[in-house]
Amino acid sequence: MAKQTKSLLKRNGSAKVVTYVILIIGALISLIPFVWMISTSLKSLGEALGSSFFPSELHFENYVEAWKRARFSEYFINSIIIAAITLTGEVTFSILAAYAFARIKFPGRDFIFGVLLSTMMIPAMVNIIPNFLTVTWLGRIGPLKWINNWPALTVPFMGSVFSIFLLRQFFAQIPDELFDSAQLDGAGHFRFLWQIAVPLSKASIMVIVVLSFIGTWNSLAWPMLVTNTPDWRPISVGLMNFVQEAGQHINLTMAGAFITIVPIVVIYFFTQRQFTESIARSGLKG
Amino acid sequence: MAEIVEANSKMKQRSLFSRVNGRKIREYLTGYLFIAPAVTLIFIFGIFPVGFALYVSLHKWRLKQGAFIGLKNYVSGIGNLAYLAAFILALLAFVGAYLLVRSQQKQGVTGRQWLHLIPALVQAGAVLALLRWGVILLPEFLGIADKLRKLERTQEVFMRLLGETLWAEQVAAAFFVFISLAAGGLILGWLVRKFIGDKKTFQRQSMFAFAWTSLAVGGILIWFTFKEIAGVYAAALEAGTDPGVWPQVVTIGSGFILIGLAWLFWKSAEKRVGSKVFWWRILAAFVLMVGGWLLIGEIPTILASGDPDLWEGLKVTIYFSMFTVPFQLAISLFLSVLLFQKIWGSNAFRIIYFLPYVTPAVASAAIFRQIFSARETAPANLLLKSLGAEPLRWLFEPKGVFSIIANGMGVDWPAWAAGPSLALTVIILHSVWTYVGYDTVIYLAGLGNISKELIDAAAVDGANKWDTFWYIIFPLLSPTTYFLSLIAIIGTFKAFSTIWIFRDSMALGTTDTFSVTIFIEFFEKLRYGYASALSFVLFAIILILTVANNRIQGSRVFYG
Repeated sequence: MAKQTKSLLKRNGSAKVVTYVILIIGALISLIPFVWMISTSLKSLGEALGSSFFPSELHFENYVEAWKRARFSEYFINSIIIAAITLTGEVTFSILAAYAFARIKFPGRDFIFGVLLSTMMIPAMVNIIPNFLTVTWLGRIGPLKWINNWPALTVPFMGSVFSIFLLRQFFAQIPDELFDSAQLDGAGHFRFLWQIAVPLSKASIMVIVVLSFIGTWNSLAWPMLVTNTPDWRPISVGLMNFVQEAGQHINLTMAGAFITIVPIVVIYFFTQRQFTESIARSGLKG
Repeated sequence: MAEIVEANSKMKQRSLFSRVNGRKIREYLTGYLFIAPAVTLIFIFGIFPVGFALYVSLHKWRLKQGAFIGLKNYVSGIGNLAYLAAFILALLAFVGAYLLVRSQQKQGVTGRQWLHLIPALVQAGAVLALLRWGVILLPEFLGIADKLRKLERTQEVFMRLLGETLWAEQVAAAFFVFISLAAGGLILGWLVRKFIGDKKTFQRQSMFAFAWTSLAVGGILIWFTFKEIAGVYAAALEAGTDPGVWPQVVTIGSGFILIGLAWLFWKSAEKRVGSKVFWWRILAAFVLMVGGWLLIGEIPTILASGDPDLWEGLKVTIYFSMFTVPFQLAISLFLSVLLFQKIWGSNAFRIIYFLPYVTPAVASAAIFRQIFSARETAPANLLLKSLGAEPLRWLFEPKGVFSIIANGMGVDWPAWAAGPSLALTVIILHSVWTYVGYDTVIYLAGLGNISKELIDAAAVDGANKWDTFWYIIFPLLSPTTYFLSLIAIIGTFKAFSTIWIFRDSMALGTTDTFSVTIFIEFFEKLRYGYASALSFVLFAIILILTVANNRIQGSRVFYG
């Protein structure tokens, strides 16, 4: 008996080692491209084109050069402004709509919500052409420029079915008693929403903020269409142009890639718990 | 005294009632007000574009709106299959109308309640009139921008032009038709409700109106397609050629019908396993299947007349899907099962695996572009060198990956089995690298939902780890696998950003998936009408894939 247990333990032990080896190999494969990016971004051009993995001396000035010469400073700020405007609109509108869909009864509510949900199936390629025409038209009739300006980059993304859907689930979970007692105290929907519902669902709002920020930061096709000058070009388009134009200077492009990645990775590390949990949950439910 | 009290209480009731009513209305208004901004935006940039894209796809539209050309854009994309697709859509509309009416019948619509059909017909007419008004209004609306060009852009001028557009003779007439039909439909509906006293009036009339609309759409589609084909034949007669539309539509259409029949036979055979009838039905299903397949075999000849870029794009997309999804799912399932054990630092592993997924696609693609660059000193080539192989041109290489491997070993390889180009293989690797973390996280959530007792019970019964995985964990994970495979397949059909960055003219278009092909037509060739038509073909493919995946996998998913 004792012998059996011992051999079982031993087998389990070696299985553990194999498990760790596999997991570590997986982690290495996930990380090596990033490590290579950082090490290349610190090399001189000659060394970057050579075959050594690590730089012999650290050229931090590559970052300064990419930041200035490739206009990453402008693109970076553009992306931040675009994300800020988009998020303000999207979060406000989504909170309002999600609350109404979850807690206010009005005729046609479920029908409208069903129609909204069905739009999630439509591939972006179907919408991209008419939306481009719409945005051009809006810019030509109104006082505000849309193409090459912030409205075209932000306004179309302020209505997000996904955010409304996610928030509605949370608002629907708030117990009715809370609302009833707030109503007895004379609070209407608006006050209940801002003073009770929103503070209660801070975590889920955070998830929406993070997901939308990443979405805005990474989007490529639409910004490529609606910006043809660097004035409002976001960082993803800037990096792509830089890769295609200055492809030879791979130490600089890797520095640019690093600059593009940093904000996302920082945000991800700070919110990773809610992040993975919300993805697991919304993924399974959606 | 008693009377006064009664009157008083009545008044109280009344005022209470009106107060309740007022509160109800205020509640409604609050609701509409709350959803207004988001719903307006989603309508303008999410729902309306679908109709607009359809409108664009029926026109010659190169940067500027051109003439109405019907299905021509679709025909130049997918050949005569476009006509068949229109017919199938019309058939589906008819079937939808029938199903709606039958569902109402099942819910107990009898006798006089069928009178709801009459107001519903007028209401359906109103819906169609509204659509017609939209179609007439749209080009006028677009024209405002051109009219404004020479004028000063003030609000007054815009409002004046807007008014002119809305009250232009044709537009106003269409609007009047809509208003009168809508009013007529509502009044008639109210009258019928009074007459029958049906509590479910709203639901029934809207369902019937839906059915009528569906029927009308089907009819219009058939009439439209018929006219289109007649036009093609007339043009062909003049030119002295035979477009062969009808024979093709009929052959392939009947092929699909035969396969549908085969499926019905198969289903009915399932109910009678073991009897003689069972074998007859299976045999019939088999014969019908073969027949249908032979008839559908006509499709490639039709497609030959379509756009070669499109078919190349579809082939690339299928390769991309076929080689990305299974690997991605297998690796992430494996990793998640390992991670699910009690392991030191499992959270750290999860964070690391997830990192590629959150990384901006542009940046990670830029990194992969350098790692798999054609330079001899690029990391991928250095790795090959250390293994004793020749360096490759990776993203610049249009040759198939299997033939490269076979040639490297000195074997002749047939061209049809060349596989995805080496350039596409790099994109596949990048895609797997990106999404394994996402899939792992979702698999972990799925594993967390499996009850511990079940696994413990299996261990008590003497099942080893492999048995436990294969007979308990894997089947219980099937909903997750189903969900992930659906998301991944659709994702590969939608994929754009990464491929656009990896794209290089040296790869000779072997990396251009369907979405990229559409974007090139739109962005570089400025063929808006044609690109819109192609985007609907993509939409149709995604829908078909979803339904097919549902049919094939859905029946095998075990939801516990």
